[in-house]
Amino acid sequence: MSVVAHLEADALDPLLELAELTEQARGDGAIVSFVGLARPESKQGDAVDAVVLDHHPTLTRQSLEEVAVACAQRFDVSHVRVVHRFGTIPAGEPIVFAGVSSIHRRAAFEAADYLMDRLKTEAVFWKREVGDGEAKWIEPTEADFADRDRWG
Amino acid sequence: MKVLLYGRLAEAIGTEVELDAAAGCSVAEVRKRLGEAHPAAEESLKRSRALIGDSAVGDDRVVTAVDRVQFLPPVSGG
Repeated sequence: MSVVAHLEADALDPLLELAELTEQARGDGAIVSFVGLARPESKQGDAVDAVVLDHHPTLTRQSLEEVAVACAQRFDVSHVRVVHRFGTIPAGEPIVFAGVSSIHRRAAFEAADYLMDRLKTEAVFWKREVGDGEAKWIEPTEADFADRDRWG
Repeated sequence: MKVLLYGRLAEAIGTEVELDAAAGCSVAEVRKRLGEAHPAAEESLKRSRALIGDSAVGDDRVVTAVDRVQFLPPVSGG
């Protein structure tokens, strides 16, 4: 069993993260991974050049770790890996990698879903979409909270 | 007294400000003073949680001379 929760200042390589997880998961039967990308368009249809994520020097990493550990405790998984970027992320680039391995696929699918539902609402970031010379602060939507609340 | 700010509060006020508030005042007073000094950030301040030493504190918490109060607006999530 391993839990990795990493806050990344530089570029995130999802293939490298998946390779690490695959290496760890040799005794397992399933890996499910999710890669979140910086969208080039806002929900209102405006062009987005980059997403800027402000973070807290201690609480942000702690929040990633809390979610990853809770995931490992809740589901029958062997390895949990969360890597989240902060700072300025150009549109199209990966923001987050969330991956889990398990003996069976069902637990892996559910655990990955759980990870992202909680990260989307609880990870300690303050996010702006930057485009056309202006920045808009983003907060979780009602749908994001409803997704998280499915897990009780 | 040093106050640390994050997210939209940091944008409106700055990431770190020195507030002329007496030691022994409450977190509520720090919040109020900061809002008076930066009216544009008043609403965000009301919605923000206060921390001292990375632990959440209530508005009735007394602030000492060595405390650094942090105000965190609601998080965006990842």
